[in-house]
Amino acid sequence: MAKYILRRLLIFIPMLFIVTIVVFTLATLAPGDPLTGQQLDPTIDPAALEERREALGLNDPPPVQYINWLSEVATGNLGDSLYFSGRTVQDLIWSRLPNTVYLAVFSLFITLVIGLPLGIYAARKQYTAADYFVTTFGFFGLAVPNFFFALLAVYFFSFQLGWFPAQGTQSSASISGLAEFLDRLHHLILPGLTLGLASVAIYMRYIRSEMLDVLSSDFVRTARAKGMTKGTVVYKHTLRNATIPIITLLGFEFGTLVSGAVVTEAVFNFPGIGQLFLTGIQNRDFPLIMGINLLIGVTILVGNLLADIMYAVVDPRIRYD
Amino acid sequence: MNLKKWWSFLLALTFSVLLLAACNGGDDETGTDPEEPADDNGEEPADDENGDDDGDDDTAGEASEGGNVNIAFFSPPEHQFNPIYYTSTYDANVMDFIFEALFRTDDELLLQPHLAESYELNDDQTEMTITLNEGITWHDGEAFTADDVVFTYEMISHPEYTGVRGTYADKLVGYEDFRAGESEEFEGVVAEDDQTVIFRWEESSVTPEFNASFPIIPEHIFGAVEPGEIESHESSIATGEVVGTGPFMLGDFVEGDQYVLNANEDYWNGAPNLDTVTLQVRDQAVITGLLESGDVDMVIQPDGIVPSDVASVEQMDNVTLYQPQDLGYQYMGFKIGYRPSEDVEAGVIDTDNFIENEKLSDVRVRQAIVHALDREAMVGGEDGEGGLLQGSGQVLHAPFPEASWAFDENADIGLEYDTDRAMELLAEAGYEDTNGDGFVEDPNGEEYVLTLAYPTGNEPRENAAIVIEQQLAEVGINVNVDTPREFPAHSEIVENDDQSIDMYLMGWGLASGDPDPGGIFTSHVPYNYTRWVDETSDEMIQRGLSAPDAFEQEYREEVYSEWAEYVSEQVPYAFLWSMINNWAATDRVGGITEDPVTMLKDPHLWYVQE
Amino acid sequence: MSGPSPGSTKQVNTEPPMPEAKEQKKSYSPTKLIVKRFFANKLAVAGVFMFLLVVIFSFSAPLFVEHDPAQTNPLNTYAEPSADHWLGTNSSGQDNFARLVYGGQISLQVGVFIMLIVSVIGVVLGSISGYFGGWIDSIIMRVTDLFLIFPFLLLVLTVVTILQNVNVAILVITLGLIVWPNITRILRGTYLTLREREFIYSARAAGATDLRIIMKHMIPNAIGPIIVNATIIMAQMIILESALSFIGFGIPAPTPSWGAMLNEARSLNILTGMPWAWMPPGIMIVITVLSINFIGDGLRDAFDPKSSRK
Repeated sequence: MAKYILRRLLIFIPMLFIVTIVVFTLATLAPGDPLTGQQLDPTIDPAALEERREALGLNDPPPVQYINWLSEVATGNLGDSLYFSGRTVQDLIWSRLPNTVYLAVFSLFITLVIGLPLGIYAARKQYTAADYFVTTFGFFGLAVPNFFFALLAVYFFSFQLGWFPAQGTQSSASISGLAEFLDRLHHLILPGLTLGLASVAIYMRYIRSEMLDVLSSDFVRTARAKGMTKGTVVYKHTLRNATIPIITLLGFEFGTLVSGAVVTEAVFNFPGIGQLFLTGIQNRDFPLIMGINLLIGVTILVGNLLADIMYAVVDPRIRYD
Repeated sequence: MNLKKWWSFLLALTFSVLLLAACNGGDDETGTDPEEPADDNGEEPADDENGDDDGDDDTAGEASEGGNVNIAFFSPPEHQFNPIYYTSTYDANVMDFIFEALFRTDDELLLQPHLAESYELNDDQTEMTITLNEGITWHDGEAFTADDVVFTYEMISHPEYTGVRGTYADKLVGYEDFRAGESEEFEGVVAEDDQTVIFRWEESSVTPEFNASFPIIPEHIFGAVEPGEIESHESSIATGEVVGTGPFMLGDFVEGDQYVLNANEDYWNGAPNLDTVTLQVRDQAVITGLLESGDVDMVIQPDGIVPSDVASVEQMDNVTLYQPQDLGYQYMGFKIGYRPSEDVEAGVIDTDNFIENEKLSDVRVRQAIVHALDREAMVGGEDGEGGLLQGSGQVLHAPFPEASWAFDENADIGLEYDTDRAMELLAEAGYEDTNGDGFVEDPNGEEYVLTLAYPTGNEPRENAAIVIEQQLAEVGINVNVDTPREFPAHSEIVENDDQSIDMYLMGWGLASGDPDPGGIFTSHVPYNYTRWVDETSDEMIQRGLSAPDAFEQEYREEVYSEWAEYVSEQVPYAFLWSMINNWAATDRVGGITEDPVTMLKDPHLWYVQE
Repeated sequence: MSGPSPGSTKQVNTEPPMPEAKEQKKSYSPTKLIVKRFFANKLAVAGVFMFLLVVIFSFSAPLFVEHDPAQTNPLNTYAEPSADHWLGTNSSGQDNFARLVYGGQISLQVGVFIMLIVSVIGVVLGSISGYFGGWIDSIIMRVTDLFLIFPFLLLVLTVVTILQNVNVAILVITLGLIVWPNITRILRGTYLTLREREFIYSARAAGATDLRIIMKHMIPNAIGPIIVNATIIMAQMIILESALSFIGFGIPAPTPSWGAMLNEARSLNILTGMPWAWMPPGIMIVITVLSINFIGDGLRDAFDPKSSRK
């Protein structure tokens, strides 16, 4: 196992390296730079912009810029943002990362608490109205574009019912402690639902079919014949199997949740990594793009590894060599 | 109309389905509660902000002390709260509460003393002696003095300064030497005593107040910082550390979400009525809902309410709209010439090397194009009906919007929408449809296609590109519209004279300071993106700034009016429109100062009326 | 759909079918059995029916749409529904009904062509990887890993800005090149299992070439997962196109697409005041994606008899 982990790590490092080169090339190939967007204001002297380009190193040949960036990373720094003047990339990432983590964790939580019971319920009541309702909901969850769902949810739950706040991460900057936690949670509900909508649908359908499999399998009949209650067997087995996709979600998806939340973050103005990344791309802020990309890469690596380890824990038949 | 009813029914139906789905989903219980969801009467507005208990229908009540006002804008600031380094207008909004300058514009866009109490100019306007107001302190209690002014101008002239605000200082005496690091002393700005500061310019300054109107930063904070480190110093970017002289101080914030500004009780112009102002970043899509529910009290520059939402905001009883004309404008530029690629590479602008774009070098063709554009239709009626702007704009013929003193309503400018005239002009210039394909060919009988480039990011402008294509097709001009590019990419191809484009859409956001068009229209300046070389125009622009005649505003008005006429005949640009701003405030906020360029003037006078 | 990210596209990993376990009771051929099972599934049949309706509606446009979807009219923006403009007009005065119908062509093309590209890449690379294994398998798998951590928005943006005049084809190819890794991985898994099957061993023992084994034995037996995943990709891409439109990276104006139309409703005001502008494209997206998913589910059940018990 340790050998396996080590091997994975060793493979991953050169891959990360390749990705940074490709990303850097793309970022510098795209026309425009972080300062071209500022040329709307005629009181800014273009010569001053040119000097600033020089000072930021934007006039260096791309390979030189890349090497400068790399040597910065080697010292444990992700460099200075080009668009957010005066700020470092890690400072920016740290200021946004918590929001994204809350959002991702909460949407996974929603996936679990909604998807699991609904899936089990539907399977237990197969071919009833409830089953059809759940199945249809599952299909709809996959068919509704999530920004569209988000706008409708804001309109309905925030403005018509007034249940949840429509925007932002917390209602006041000055609260702290439990009040802050609850307030943040309150703000998380709509974006979390939006982000988790598709996952809920997929997970629910998975659990339902898993459950049906188990219900009809031979060993359940055997176990029942031996006098065990149906519930014990079914739940033990289903729940164990149900953890597998959740682990996959955790490992495989977490990193992409980070970058995939761009749309949700935009509608709810939830300042997270996705939004930051989009800003970085739109403004050609390559240190920021590369920094976030490194972060996502490492997250996926760690997530995948953890997932592999957890598979082995959940299902001892899985072996790595 | 029956159709409309039908749609409302469908809408209600959708929401019911959504409610049912979400209730069952969200509460994890399969109980059915078939409420009538689309019935929105009597619902409480969502209000979780700081426990304000405002109702929707409060009439103008009593002014009360204290309280908080929520202001929305649509993009997060970049968090650079130092005037010498900021670039984003959102940061500028935050700083408007915190930093002040010696002069600021009044409601006629004339600069008046602000931190300055009075000033005197010598006869040839090369020297200005400014007396500062007494009793002004920084947020941390230190006294504001002439040294702070000197320090600020030294910092934007410093050899290690990498910001872009040097234009305020670069005409001062000794700037070049100081900037080059060859001189320790900056002769251009000198403190006579604590309350007196003297500005000296190399040549007569026609706009001395403007040049002295840069926001002042505190010497006692940044004096101890290496000039190269100021940009990333915590007093430039961190809460609680940003120190200015303004009516509010930066307090707690949640990055990218909200910024709390606390009242500066010692503000020299009088303590603010409010306790706090909260600047919130909110998505444009939901802003009307937030205004109506009272979650947001003000919507301000640079965005304002989008034109398509204005009609519905007008119907809200609790909201007042403030609609000054914007100083900036949108235009379609004609690439009359291109810099050769060697010059682009070398960053050189030499008018002699410009390559003429034969497709547009005939002024009749450019005039024909302007005649072919129905700009009134693009802007729309004033009743808010139709148009790409729903009436939130004004057709422009020269780069002076009505709000500016350089605007002359009697000037005979502008080419009206007249397709017949357009076709006449084209025929005169030799452009005729010789092969019967519906589009004109050039005088040599070759196919004539103009390529139009435009950026994403401004919906009316994006829509205008296709409208322009179709309107020009009406008079037989074949326009090939490029795929829209993101702004930085678009800006680069325009600036670097990409020879594949003939026309481009762009906008200028004009500062409120001075209407001098020289920075954009003089032949040799970089911002002359059209590469329009015209000695007559250059000479007029020069005249508008030449001492001593130009010390008189009336003289300049005349010159600019003449120039406006000239430029609208020569059409280096097809000026499209200037926007009407749609700023809004709920009736909860009182004491707002109306101003053509900002909603944020004198926020210490604001109060909450319950 | 949790956002425009290739990693968040989930595939259903169906078991490969068991060709040797032919159900012997009746003498149906496997193909006929599959067709029979598929058409026994009411949802699947409804899906086919709905999907055909959408296709006919979109592609018969010239027969009944009078307006040019690109024709603007600045004097008549945000018009209400009328006899001339059945669904009103948009912010530049274009006819919403024409845009809805022609937009359907675009959205369907996006879905179908990306599906084709991705399936071809997935089948080719998946077969190579799964059949041969070894170093070539490692390389392909590492490349798929690479794509997982790749910021694909950046790729779309760069391609769009470098290649001027982006059209549907360029967007489709770019997206196709980004989405292929998932399906490749899934098909590789399928081939890995197939490779160990007895009938492959016997084919090999009989001297069949690798190419012949792949073409004649592997692909036909993996056709179930291939088709099922293809339908899933297609549904996801139609949603993805609308999400891309939302953040400004979609198919550029004036080409109409459902995503762009929905995106124009990005304001509460239009949402509540002009349902005729956004509800039709919204409903069309939902119907199309639903029908494709129904078909996909039906196909899965049909190809995989085990799952049809559910």
